[in-house]
Amino acid sequence: MVTLTIDGKEVTVPQGTTILEAAKGVDIKIPTLCYHERLNPIGSCRMCVVEIEGFTHPMAACTTPVEDGIEVTTNSERLTRIRQDSLKLILVNHPLDCPICDKGGECLLQDLVYDHGIDQVEYTAAKIERDSSYATPLIRYWPDRCIMCLRCVTACQEIKGIGAISIKGDGYGAQVVVVDQDKCQSCGECLQVCPTGALTADLSRYKGRTWLLERVPTTCTYCGCGCQLELNVQNDRVIAVTTQDGVGVNQGSLCVKGRFGYEFINSDERLTTPLIRKNGELQEAGWDEALSLVAEKFSAIKAEFGGGAIGGLTSARCTNEDNYLFQKFMRAAVGTNNVDHCARL
Amino acid sequence: MAEILFSSWGGEVVDNRSKEGQDLEPVNTVELPEYFRQDEAVKALMGWYGLVIRDPETDIVDLSRVYMKEIQEKSCGKCFLCRIGTRVMAEILERICSGQGKSQDLGILTRLAESIQESSKCNIGQSGPIPILHALEHFAADFEAAINDKKVVPAGTYHSKLTAPCMDACPIHLDIPTYVECIKEGRFQDSLDVIREKLPLPGVVGRVCVRPCEEHCRRMNLDAPISIKFLKRFVADYELSKGKEPKFAIKPSAKTGKVAVVGAGPGGATCAYHLTRMGHEVTVYERFDEPGGMSAMGIPDYRLPRTILREEVDRIERMGATFNYESSVGKDVKLSQLEADNDAVFIAIGSQLGTTMGVEGEEENYDGYISGVQYLLDINQGRDPYPAGKKVVVVGGGNVAIDCVRCSFRVDKPDVNLVYRRTKNEMPADDVEIHDAEEEKVNFHYLTHPVKILAEAGKVVGLRCVRMELGEPDESGRRRPVPVEGSEFVIDCDIVVPAIGQTQDLSLLEGREDVKTTRWKTIVADEKTKQTDQPKIFSAGDCETGPGALITACAGGRTAAYSIDKMINGESLEYTEDDNFDTFFKKVKVFDQAEDLGFLGGRERKELEMLDPDTRKFTNDEVEQGYSIQEAMIEADRCLRCYRVATVKV
Repeated sequence: MVTLTIDGKEVTVPQGTTILEAAKGVDIKIPTLCYHERLNPIGSCRMCVVEIEGFTHPMAACTTPVEDGIEVTTNSERLTRIRQDSLKLILVNHPLDCPICDKGGECLLQDLVYDHGIDQVEYTAAKIERDSSYATPLIRYWPDRCIMCLRCVTACQEIKGIGAISIKGDGYGAQVVVVDQDKCQSCGECLQVCPTGALTADLSRYKGRTWLLERVPTTCTYCGCGCQLELNVQNDRVIAVTTQDGVGVNQGSLCVKGRFGYEFINSDERLTTPLIRKNGELQEAGWDEALSLVAEKFSAIKAEFGGGAIGGLTSARCTNEDNYLFQKFMRAAVGTNNVDHCARL
Repeated sequence: MAEILFSSWGGEVVDNRSKEGQDLEPVNTVELPEYFRQDEAVKALMGWYGLVIRDPETDIVDLSRVYMKEIQEKSCGKCFLCRIGTRVMAEILERICSGQGKSQDLGILTRLAESIQESSKCNIGQSGPIPILHALEHFAADFEAAINDKKVVPAGTYHSKLTAPCMDACPIHLDIPTYVECIKEGRFQDSLDVIREKLPLPGVVGRVCVRPCEEHCRRMNLDAPISIKFLKRFVADYELSKGKEPKFAIKPSAKTGKVAVVGAGPGGATCAYHLTRMGHEVTVYERFDEPGGMSAMGIPDYRLPRTILREEVDRIERMGATFNYESSVGKDVKLSQLEADNDAVFIAIGSQLGTTMGVEGEEENYDGYISGVQYLLDINQGRDPYPAGKKVVVVGGGNVAIDCVRCSFRVDKPDVNLVYRRTKNEMPADDVEIHDAEEEKVNFHYLTHPVKILAEAGKVVGLRCVRMELGEPDESGRRRPVPVEGSEFVIDCDIVVPAIGQTQDLSLLEGREDVKTTRWKTIVADEKTKQTDQPKIFSAGDCETGPGALITACAGGRTAAYSIDKMINGESLEYTEDDNFDTFFKKVKVFDQAEDLGFLGGRERKELEMLDPDTRKFTNDEVEQGYSIQEAMIEADRCLRCYRVATVKV
């Protein structure tokens, strides 16, 4: 264990802990922008710089591991100047289009600029036309809004192990681009970690302000993984799917289907009740009625031809537990070994 | 040397602007070369530690403009302050120089320079604003005049270069910060691409390099240098373990030709690689039946498995170069023939012969007297050099001597001694190698010098030695050992291996005079182009430099390849900008071991797992086990990315 002081408070943490994590443990809030709990520290924003007694250089709290006996200061005139300069520089040529930005209201940059009371930017640089081709039909890229925190690049590499996006160019001309279009699966991991409106869900564009949406927690139905997600609902229509970092098995990740494959919910052709064919016509029925009918027919078939006449096919959209119960039901209740699964076909 | 007008290099301000004659203060923190190249005198320098001005005519505002533009262009864009802040600064300076400066500009420049310098992620941003701050402090009047006069500042002539201490120290100037950063980010293939831009043998160099880079790693000033060598090995091994065939970037030359390469060692292989990449038709002649030259014959398998070496050279063959093994130039084919058949010939035959100790009994050729080079060659080809011998004495203190003692255990010779005339402190061998040999229980006899080889019936039976003590320093700065009278003693042994140096067999030249040689039997070639006095013949590696580091041979091979390409394309072989900066940086040191970085350190360097000494000494299995993916990424994360820019006014 290592003991240090942060703003005069003594903290004891395991070796290898960063200053940022140690500070969090004693409720000292150091501002961050590029830092994301699910990613290795990136260190691009320099918002979390702190001073360490005896060392001339401020250091980023997110990337600096603690040392025994160090005295850390998280707030000073110098640190405030650096943080303000960092934010002011981002605002050079950053479009102030918050009124029509889908991220408006939950944008980290917006919050930090507000917190630091930045009301004017004395710095200027000629605007550069940036390439917006990094986009898929599902993910929209707004290069001028991009602050190059590199969360997206890191998430694509670290969480998904894909590495479809990277930086191209040097200096002010550097920007995030797709380096391998074929690798991108439109999973939206980049969008999930983006702190600003640089990456937005195209299906949801201009559909609803974030603070007006109802978020309904549910489980994804696409496969048996059981990913936790939130349906963003406005006027009884799903307009987006989001996730909460650190929640459920997926911890905030989703695949392309889970994140973007929700439009069927609003489809007019979607079945919402069981159908029973009566007089050659499929007619809406209740679940009790439908299940009773199935049970009745199965019992009759089993009585006449034996259990072997019945087979069951289950789905990869069910959980392991569902599949287990299904085969148990087929074997024990129906009395057949004719059980199979779509993933084997 | 012409006086320096002003210097703030390293924070030590010397201001001679209003001084004359005796009052002129000397500059102790940097030596500014007089010339950048023959016809260009150095007038001023702006760089990572400050600003040095020699010529009073230097326009500091214009110099600042050019330097800041370079910094902005070299900024990687991975942190906010450097990416945008240096751009804002560069545009302000550009504006001032075009006569459109504003009164608030200097305040903005100072504030931004401070913020960028204090908090940027890497050394481009941390070092970039330093000379600008110095200039704004000590030359404020020049900036104010430029703003108030609203006149266009005339643009001067400058040379700029991006470097880093590790990069500068590396003979082949690998872009170390970039390939290490790729590893940190998990982009291993990208990392290899960066290495292969210059070096085709990452697996080999990643195992046996003498790593000048690590001796110039700025992290050393905080805790310990990063493990650059093993990171390189990691990416090479990673690719190999995935069974991936590397994709080499082909960069065809405008005009292609035929080139013969003599020797398939590191120098020859690297030269063949670059020439093949450029589309030239390359034939390599190698006297042994396998590639690697002295690195295959001289470096034991436990340090460099032959499979790694073969695979990396075979890839060059698969790229399109032809390798003629068991083809000795001078015997099987004449050099004059190669000259006639090709547009150029590159000679990189290494240092293949051992030198003698000059002690009594050496000329007798007793059974059991074997030169170090031959001893290692036999063992590396799977033979016991002298099966009857069990007690070995190796004489020498270099890496070859250490290889000889450590190899001895591995051919069933349990009693192994090393005789060296100075102490362990003066031993030229790599400290790690010495440590490993100690762990394997070699008997070290320091301050001991051989006097006579004792023999019975034509067979070695012992080595008579004399004790030494250290006297006055010699020309190498090391204290000269002198014999202690009456201290002679005998080490019983049946094998004596002199490993005190190597020399070159230059018989392939057949005594011709158009290719000059030195009295140390090395080929004379231009330091920067590797061309000999015979324009068609180029040479590098040990046969040109004398026994040296593997990476130096690779660097020479690469240089020669580019020179040959120029020659084939009818271009002149004048020194490049990089060559001139090479010379420049030898004086203006890129690395300062005394620099106080002002950071918190304390991040431990990750060492490799090793096989246990008692097990490994009897096998040829590789002793050092590579990094795991996680270990490599953590180690790479220690890199401080010490890129910095120098702008020279001429």
